[in-house]
Amino acid sequence: MKVVALRLVLLALFLGAWEVAGRRMNPLLGIPPSAVLPALRDLLLLRSYPDLVASLVLTVREIATAYVLAVAAGLGCGFMLGMHRLVGRAWGPMLGALYAVPAVVWYPSLMLFFGLDAASKIAFGFLLGFFPIALAVLAGIRQVNPQLVVVARAYGAGTVTVFRRVMLPAMLFTLVGGLRTGLALCVIGVIVGEILGSKAGMGALINHAYGLLRTGDYVALVLVTLTLVVGSDVLASLLEHRARRWTE
Amino acid sequence: MRVRILQLVTVVAGLAVWEVAARSGWVDPLFVPAPSAVAPALRRIGGDALAGLADTLGKTALAYVLSVVLGVSAGIAVGSVRLLRDVLSPYLVALYGIPKILVLPWIVLLLGYGTTPAVFYGTLHGFFPIMVLVMGAVRDVDHTLVTVARSLGATTWQLYWKVLLPAIVPSVLVGMRLGIVFCLLGVLVVEMFAWDGPRAGLVRQRLSGTGALRSHRARLGRVDRDRSGAGPPQR
Repeated sequence: MKVVALRLVLLALFLGAWEVAGRRMNPLLGIPPSAVLPALRDLLLLRSYPDLVASLVLTVREIATAYVLAVAAGLGCGFMLGMHRLVGRAWGPMLGALYAVPAVVWYPSLMLFFGLDAASKIAFGFLLGFFPIALAVLAGIRQVNPQLVVVARAYGAGTVTVFRRVMLPAMLFTLVGGLRTGLALCVIGVIVGEILGSKAGMGALINHAYGLLRTGDYVALVLVTLTLVVGSDVLASLLEHRARRWTE
Repeated sequence: MRVRILQLVTVVAGLAVWEVAARSGWVDPLFVPAPSAVAPALRRIGGDALAGLADTLGKTALAYVLSVVLGVSAGIAVGSVRLLRDVLSPYLVALYGIPKILVLPWIVLLLGYGTTPAVFYGTLHGFFPIMVLVMGAVRDVDHTLVTVARSLGATTWQLYWKVLLPAIVPSVLVGMRLGIVFCLLGVLVVEMFAWDGPRAGLVRQRLSGTGALRSHRARLGRVDRDRSGAGPPQR
């Protein structure tokens, strides 16, 4: 109880300090919370940006496409590497090394290759989401106790049964964690891509508001985008919870 | 051994496919230049690129030192004081989780172009993972150790120096390893986003860093700078 009260006090203090600081700053740069609210209302009533809904839908579609592709490729690649010992030991570290490269260095090339439209954002979201998923599958397969597989085989289980009854339950924790990280990174990738250069989508609106110094609209757009991000994470955590219950 | 050979073969095969794809015209060499065109281009812009690299690495080093120092000390402080941890951790985890790119335009508005926003944004990227990791490690220090140290009469200073710090060293190292990548990422994003733009006259503009160089090349469509005689004049 006391903790919750203190949290609220802290939040109020922060907003108060922001309000005071924002009012004393150049109004083009410092936006106090009291100025954000009208901007947010205008935005949600589609007064400041009439194409908000279309942009939101476009961004969500880009994220969804990138994620579906990343899941498909990540699962495929991860299982391929996990099932073949030699290939896994050779390519696993290479995959890990590529994952460690700050992915944003690829973005200019992706933009040249895929153009300024949705394709380059999808490609970048895919690139960010693919690695954690593939590496999680690989790590998950390595977690499976080989003795259990041998025993199941000895009792006459087929490949499908071994996979469903032995491997999947053993690797599910890691796999689901990787799928969740992958979604978070897909979302970030698409948004980063849109902000670094695009013609449509939430990132383009944010860039427009920022470029015209409409800072209030910018903050309101960021809040809407944050809702999208948090929403996707809540959805992912619900699914993760469900998957964990299924194994128990 | 076989693993090394397979890795080598993969790299060579990848380069060969890339070369063939560029030469045979499957892909436009303007967008995907062949490796054989990249090598001379690298030699030609090597000086520029090295200067840019030094600049980027300098900013990254600064951001890294800041995020390690701030992240580790904040992690220890928040992790070891129960009240602070209970009150702050939801905020800190939320700040850790949100995409920081969303505040980048604001940072650029407030701090301008050049070194300051890059270092600030790099620090922002590196700070949170390190802090969250250290915070968790401090929280999970074996309570028996703390109780024993206390009952043997350790002062608060000794408790931190002799019990807590040695116990969290592995997590600090993991955090430091993660942090370097995040700092570099942050610096590169700023260099790409804020090297030039519609408001170049409003805020200070400085054209430096690998990110700037890269964007510059990309914007001119000069992927390999090797198409002599064609395209726009050299910079």
